[in-house]
Amino acid sequence: MARRKRALHAEGGGSDDDVNLTPMLDVVFILLIFFIVTAQFIKEPGVPIARQDVDNKDYVKPLAILIGIDENSDIYIDKKVVEPNEFEFALKELRKDNPKGEIVVQADNSSEAETLVQIMETIRDVDGATSVNVSVDRD
Amino acid sequence: MRGRLKRAPEEAEVNLTPMLDVVFILLIFFIVTSTFIQEQALRLEPPPPPPPLDQIIEPLPAIVIYVDDEGLIRVNGRVADIGSVRANIERLRAERPESAVIIQAHPQARNGLIVNIRDQAQSADVNKVNIILADL
Repeated sequence: MARRKRALHAEGGGSDDDVNLTPMLDVVFILLIFFIVTAQFIKEPGVPIARQDVDNKDYVKPLAILIGIDENSDIYIDKKVVEPNEFEFALKELRKDNPKGEIVVQADNSSEAETLVQIMETIRDVDGATSVNVSVDRD
Repeated sequence: MRGRLKRAPEEAEVNLTPMLDVVFILLIFFIVTSTFIQEQALRLEPPPPPPPLDQIIEPLPAIVIYVDDEGLIRVNGRVADIGSVRANIERLRAERPESAVIIQAHPQARNGLIVNIRDQAQSADVNKVNIILADL
């Protein structure tokens, strides 16, 4: 209240160099908190994937690790090719950063089953998972 | 005016501008780095881990769906169309409700087709379909 009175006085005095930044700061803080809360640091595979359109699909939350298999059956993590024999190590490294959350394999339609099954076996061994999410077309 | 300022204590007016600068920089950082990835996925089951050698497992009757490298599908040995996989599974499960469903994939089989078959099995109310690689 005292501040407002002073501001009025300042207006009366003709000095307009003192703009009240507090409401703007409130808005900026709310935006900041929104972006902090929604921020997810996911390393994308960065390869274009042709997905299958299926009837039974679920949203995967929370998303943590994305693994891409492109049409030539190369494995991509964080926009880099990962050799199949290095995949287990790479997955363990990713799990260190992100101990919780789901793994999603983005397998291209024309990639080979051998690669996908090997990846699923590795995820089963590393994570103890009984099933692996494979990305499909979104609605 | 001057008299008023002298009487009002100086610390009542906190300069928020540097803090606003910092907050803006943080805000811009989070806007730029934020990604809104959403994925929809179908759950596929990896092959079961190899059992201990001294343990003998009672084999369940199984519906084996074989997928070869050219996209040919066989359900329990009979050639099937992708559209008829669901009907085949439902028929075989009606005969033997306890039977497990296994997708046996040729190493060069296409993953799109495997995902499609897994989806068909899910539509036929089969919740667990192990995918194994066919020995060549």
